[in-house]
Amino acid sequence: MTDKQVILSVKDLVVKFRLRGKVLTAIREASLDLYEGESLAIVGESGSGKSVFTKTFMGLLDGNGWIDSGSIIYNGEDLAKYRKEEDWIKIRGKEFAMVFQEPMTSLNPLRTIGSQVKEAVELHQGVKGEEAKKIVIEILQDVGINEPERRYSQYPHEFSGGMRQRVVIAIAVACKPKILICDEPTTALDVTIQAQILSLLKNLKKKYNLTTIYITHDLGVVANVADRIAVMYAGDIVEIGKCEEVFYNGQHPYTWALLSSLPQLGVKGEPLYSIKGTPPNLFSNIKGDAFAPRNEKALKIDFVEKPPYFTVSPTHKAKTWLLDPRAPKVDPPESIQILRKQWRESNYE
Amino acid sequence: MFKYSFKRLLQSIGTLFIVITIVFLLMRLMPEEGYFGDGFEKLDEAQREAILANMGLRDPIHIQLKNFYKQIISGDLGTSIIYRPKVPVAEVLKTKVPYSVKFGLAAMAISLFCGISLGIIMALGKNKFWDKMGTGYIVFINAVPAAVYYLFLQLYVTDIFKLPILFNPSKPASWILPVVSMSLGSTASYAMWMRRYMVDELNKDYVKLARAKGLKNKSIMVKHVLRNAFVPMVQYLPSSLLYTIAGSIYIESLYSIPGMGGLLVDAIQRQDNPLVQSLVLIYSSIGIVGLFLGDILMASIDPRIKLEKKGGAR
Repeated sequence: MTDKQVILSVKDLVVKFRLRGKVLTAIREASLDLYEGESLAIVGESGSGKSVFTKTFMGLLDGNGWIDSGSIIYNGEDLAKYRKEEDWIKIRGKEFAMVFQEPMTSLNPLRTIGSQVKEAVELHQGVKGEEAKKIVIEILQDVGINEPERRYSQYPHEFSGGMRQRVVIAIAVACKPKILICDEPTTALDVTIQAQILSLLKNLKKKYNLTTIYITHDLGVVANVADRIAVMYAGDIVEIGKCEEVFYNGQHPYTWALLSSLPQLGVKGEPLYSIKGTPPNLFSNIKGDAFAPRNEKALKIDFVEKPPYFTVSPTHKAKTWLLDPRAPKVDPPESIQILRKQWRESNYE
Repeated sequence: MFKYSFKRLLQSIGTLFIVITIVFLLMRLMPEEGYFGDGFEKLDEAQREAILANMGLRDPIHIQLKNFYKQIISGDLGTSIIYRPKVPVAEVLKTKVPYSVKFGLAAMAISLFCGISLGIIMALGKNKFWDKMGTGYIVFINAVPAAVYYLFLQLYVTDIFKLPILFNPSKPASWILPVVSMSLGSTASYAMWMRRYMVDELNKDYVKLARAKGLKNKSIMVKHVLRNAFVPMVQYLPSSLLYTIAGSIYIESLYSIPGMGGLLVDAIQRQDNPLVQSLVLIYSSIGIVGLFLGDILMASIDPRIKLEKKGGAR
C-alpha cells in the first residue's frame, strides 16, 4: 500500500453549515490520504458526514455550507482554497465524478438518456456530434445496457431503477474522471440488482483505471468492494485501515459497536445489538471523543480530550484513548472477540 | 403521440357534447319573455304561444334537443332578438371580437414576458431582494381586489402621464392603460408559478448530477431547469390565449372598449335568450379547446405523458 502514490490528501478539514441562524459543524478536522488506484469505503451511520465529506472535494456543498479550515491537496493544488464556481468547474467531472444514491430522480426526465451521457462526453472528452454519440454507445455497452443504439434515444421513465443507476454510472464514467465517488450507489436498489451494480463498478474501476470512494452504511457492500475502510463518526474519521484490519481487528469502540450491530454477528439466542443513544448534536461544541457518551466502557479522558490517531499497524490507525499505553485494558464485546479469533485462526492456516 | 392526441380529441368532443346539452337544458329554464323582445307586453297569450310554437319551442324536448344539435353542427349560432334584433349572433360577435383579441394578446404578451422573467429572477435569487419585492407584488395583486387598482390606475395615472381616460380607436396612447391593467394580474400569477416550478426543479437530484458532471451553472439553467420548469406552465397557455378572445369584462367597461367582455352581461340583463345561449356555448367551447390544446402541447414536450394509466414510476 505504501508504495502507491497519494492522489488526494485531506488534512484537518472542517466544514460548517449555517442552519436556522445557528452554525453546525458537519466535518470536524477529518484527515484522509487516498492512494492512486485503491478502493476506499467510508462507513458510518446516517448523519455522520460521509456524503458532506466527499461533496466537499467537488465543491458540491449546499449554499449554506463552507470549508472553515483545513486543506484538500489534489495535484499540488489546495481545493479548500477554491471559492468561485469557475475553479470548481475545472475539477468537477474531469477529476472527480460522482454516482448518486437516487437513480430514480438523478436523471432529467425530459431528456433522452443518450443526450445526458453525451453532455458529459462532449464536456470532458473534447468530441462533438456523431463521434461523441459513438463513444456514448460504447459506454452504455460497458455499463451493461443492451441494445445501446435503441436505448440511446429513450427517456429515463422507460428504464428500471437498476438500469437508471447504470446510466448514472455511465455519465460518471463518460467524464473520464481520476476519482469516482459512489455515494451509496446501491441503497435504493433491491438486493439482486445491488450485486450486479457492485460488480459493474468493480469492472469499470479496472477498465478505466479509477480510484474509487464508496460511501455506504452497508457493511456487506464494503466487504465486497473495498481495499480500505474509513469509519466515520460525527464528522471525523475515527478508524482507518485495510478491510481485514478494521473488520477483524477493529480498535475503536464505535467500530466495535458498528460491527456488533450486524445481524450476521449476533450471538444466537440473544437479542440483536443496537447502539444506544443518538449521534451527538453537531450544533454544540463536542469535547473529547464524540462517541464517549454512547460508549458504556468510556474512559474518563474520553470526555475531556480528543484522542489523536494511534498507529496499530503501518496501514491501520484509530482515534481512541484505548490504544494509549497508559490506558486500562478494555475487552471488546463478545462478537468482536469471536471475529478476532476467527481471523487469527484463518491467518495461521 | 398520435394515439394520445386522437384519444384526447375524442374526449374533448364528448365533453363538448355534454356541455351543449347542459346549456340547452339550462336555457329552457329561463323565462320565456326572452324570446319576444320589446313586444312582450302587447301580445296576448295565444299570440305568444303561436310565436313560441313557430320557433319550435313547443315541440317535445328531445326533438328540440335534436334540432339544437343540428343547428350547432351546421355552424348556425342563432339570431339575436333584443340586443340587436334580427341580426345573426355571428354578426354581433364579428365587430366585438377583434377588439378583445387585440387587447388580450397585447396584455398576454406583456404579462408572459414580465411574469416569466420576474419568476426566473425570483427563483434564482431566492430569499434575496428581488424575490421579496416580487413576493410583495404578488401578494398585493392577490390580496387587493382588482377593481381597486384598476380604478386607481384610471384615476391617477391618467392624470400624471396625461393619458386618455377612455378608449379611443384613433389615439394609440389610449391603449396603454387598459393593456397594463389587464396584464397586472396575470403577470403576478405567471411570476408566482414560474418561480415555484423553477425552485422545484432547482432542488431536484438531476440538477445535482448535472453540477457533478461539471456543467456550468448557466448551461444547467438553460438546458435543464428552464425547460423542465416550462412544462407545467405550458399547459395553461392555450386556454389563457383563448380566454383573451372572451375579453375582460371589467376593463372593457371601465375604458368603454367595444369588445366581447361586457356582451354576456348585457345579453343576460336584457334577456336576449338566443344570444345568451350562443355566448355560453362559445365560452365553454373555448375552455374545452384550450384544455385540449394545453394537453397536446404538454404531451409533445413531456415524453412521460401517456393517456393510459399505468402504475409505473414517473
